[in-house]
Amino acid sequence: MIWSREDLKLKTVLKLAASAALCLGALAHPAWAEDNIVKIGVVAAESGSFVSAGHTLPAGVGLAVKQINDAGGFKVGGKTYKLEMVKRDDRTDIATAIAATQELVRDVKVQAIFGSETHDFTLAMAKITQPAKIIHFAGNSTLAKILNPDSVKPGGEDHYLFQSEPQEFQRSGSTARGVLSLLEPLLGFKPRKSVMIVGNDATGQFLSSYYYKALKAEGQDVPDIIFYPPDTTDFSPFLTRAKSLNPDIIHFWYNGDSTLTALPQALELGAAKSYFLFGVDPGIWKEKQLSADVPVAMSCVPVCWGESSNPKAKAYFEAYFAAGAPHGVTSSVSLLYHDYVHFLVEAWQKADSFDPDKTVEALLSLHHQGVVSDDLTFNPTHQVTHATEVCAAAPGGAISCAMQQPPAEAPKS
Amino acid sequence: MDIFIQQILNGLSIASVITLIAIGVTLIFGLTGIINFAHGEFLMIGGIVTWLAVSAGLGFPIAVMLSILAVGLMGYVLERGLFRFTLERPTNGFIVSLGLIVVLQHVVVLFWNPNQKSIPRPLTTVWEIAGVRIASVRVMVILITIAVVALSFRMITASRYGRALRASVEDRDTAALMGIPVRRYITGVFVLGSALAGLGGALLIALFPITPFTGGTMVMKGFAVALIGGLGNIYGAVAAGLILGIVEGFSAGYGFSQWTDAYSFVLMILVLIVRPHGLFGGTSGPRMAS
Repeated sequence: MIWSREDLKLKTVLKLAASAALCLGALAHPAWAEDNIVKIGVVAAESGSFVSAGHTLPAGVGLAVKQINDAGGFKVGGKTYKLEMVKRDDRTDIATAIAATQELVRDVKVQAIFGSETHDFTLAMAKITQPAKIIHFAGNSTLAKILNPDSVKPGGEDHYLFQSEPQEFQRSGSTARGVLSLLEPLLGFKPRKSVMIVGNDATGQFLSSYYYKALKAEGQDVPDIIFYPPDTTDFSPFLTRAKSLNPDIIHFWYNGDSTLTALPQALELGAAKSYFLFGVDPGIWKEKQLSADVPVAMSCVPVCWGESSNPKAKAYFEAYFAAGAPHGVTSSVSLLYHDYVHFLVEAWQKADSFDPDKTVEALLSLHHQGVVSDDLTFNPTHQVTHATEVCAAAPGGAISCAMQQPPAEAPKS
Repeated sequence: MDIFIQQILNGLSIASVITLIAIGVTLIFGLTGIINFAHGEFLMIGGIVTWLAVSAGLGFPIAVMLSILAVGLMGYVLERGLFRFTLERPTNGFIVSLGLIVVLQHVVVLFWNPNQKSIPRPLTTVWEIAGVRIASVRVMVILITIAVVALSFRMITASRYGRALRASVEDRDTAALMGIPVRRYITGVFVLGSALAGLGGALLIALFPITPFTGGTMVMKGFAVALIGGLGNIYGAVAAGLILGIVEGFSAGYGFSQWTDAYSFVLMILVLIVRPHGLFGGTSGPRMAS
């Protein structure tokens, strides 16, 4: 082959360009970067109607990743690894969540996935993560629908799936008990009649069915569960309907943003003698300078940042907000994910391997010291148990909080 | 009885907010042919501007004026910079508006985070008459809506500008030959509709907290009302807004509350099948020059 002068010039230029690209590549990625980085994925609603809870996931996971990396990483098989979080916004859209999960599993090749906090999305995502043997953590209690001894056994459909939120009968039970015990002294009488106002989606229907039973178990008369379409802004017709039942307590479930939209309207209408706001942190109550002429209870999922009785939570939330996360209605949801990044790393270290089967074995045998609890463990069906914090604001503005332990058994319906 | 009257008042309040949005939609869609599905985001921007102004210590009336001006200006820029290039192909304008939804939402998230924004209620008095509670802030919104409707109606039906506008809807080419500056009028209607969205956003945040994603649901109802009432028909938008408000109020109060939104859209579908030009008659949108 005869090379012309132009060809040779072109070859030289191409060689130089290739060398430069290699050098730049080497600079951009230090030697350890390619081999010693473990990627973990996060799929969360960073936009759309579920954003207030969704944006806490990457914030919580990101903080844990930073803490682990700043501490020098972790050792598995004699090598030191660091974590890299790869996050994707599901835009509160199930098709986007599925596409993002496929990308993280097949293209990015993550070792584990956290999310989504939107209940039915997680069920769809699990159809991708589980056949691919990806360890999958999600903080939503609807997973109870699929987590059972058969599905989680080795070779089972959901062997690598973990529920980082207590079972719903536990969460609903501790919440109902906490709400009633905190409101009773503020009301000056024992509340007997409750009406629930609930967002009408899969999550709302699922959660309310448990909370209804929990209220009944505590002796409450619950004449109506009023469902509203998600994204409702004008709650006045729903609240007027509730008012017609003359309730002692109106319980708002479950979207914190919707609840904060509904409460001022409820107060204007004088719809009840007291209120319970699920998933609204007292921090937001204080920050927005909210007030009410009747007692208002609030619960956090799982620990409050605004007025916590949990000593570890204070340090956690200081670091969380210092990392740039905004003060949100449900910032505490981040704790359903943050602790489990540490938990997972501990499991990898114990297993001394990233092998998913060995990791599951380690996860099931560990007792992890987290922020939420000093003794986080997964039960045989891959679910955790821990307390829920409930607070109440007196008409004067004073807020008191208490950690409520979950009931041992589900109420008999 | 007090509960029944309360539900009627609730329906009127819902109607006023929906009507304000629907008037903007019906003017823009009905008179210019631009299908701006980002109208809800214009509303949201209006709310954000009000929130920023009130947070900066300005009074609510000044904040409302700023919202109207800011969203009107945004409408001018977007019509001149984007929608004017899609006038011959309304489908392109529709797609552009879908893109705008995402862009505007994410710009707000980028600068002001995705959390809820609210302002202290500009009016806090609640009157109680025979067991019926009436919030003064809701009365304010109803009164402003009535004023806006009356002004818009007069402008479209009685002013020289309105007559020229309706002529250009009937036949753009002939209107242009008669010396009517059709393109400039389209810009004017778009800016007016946008300014109304700014006002709607300001009033909305006075009633309820908003998020960067508030616009989506509101605009769907706005389009439903505009189509039920008849495109370009302000009187129709008011009547349809009232019907929808009352239907929503009563369905939430006495029917299957979870289907509240569905009732509106079922009504829209039925009306469009039985009366394609809406209950009160309207345009089919402007006929485009070939």
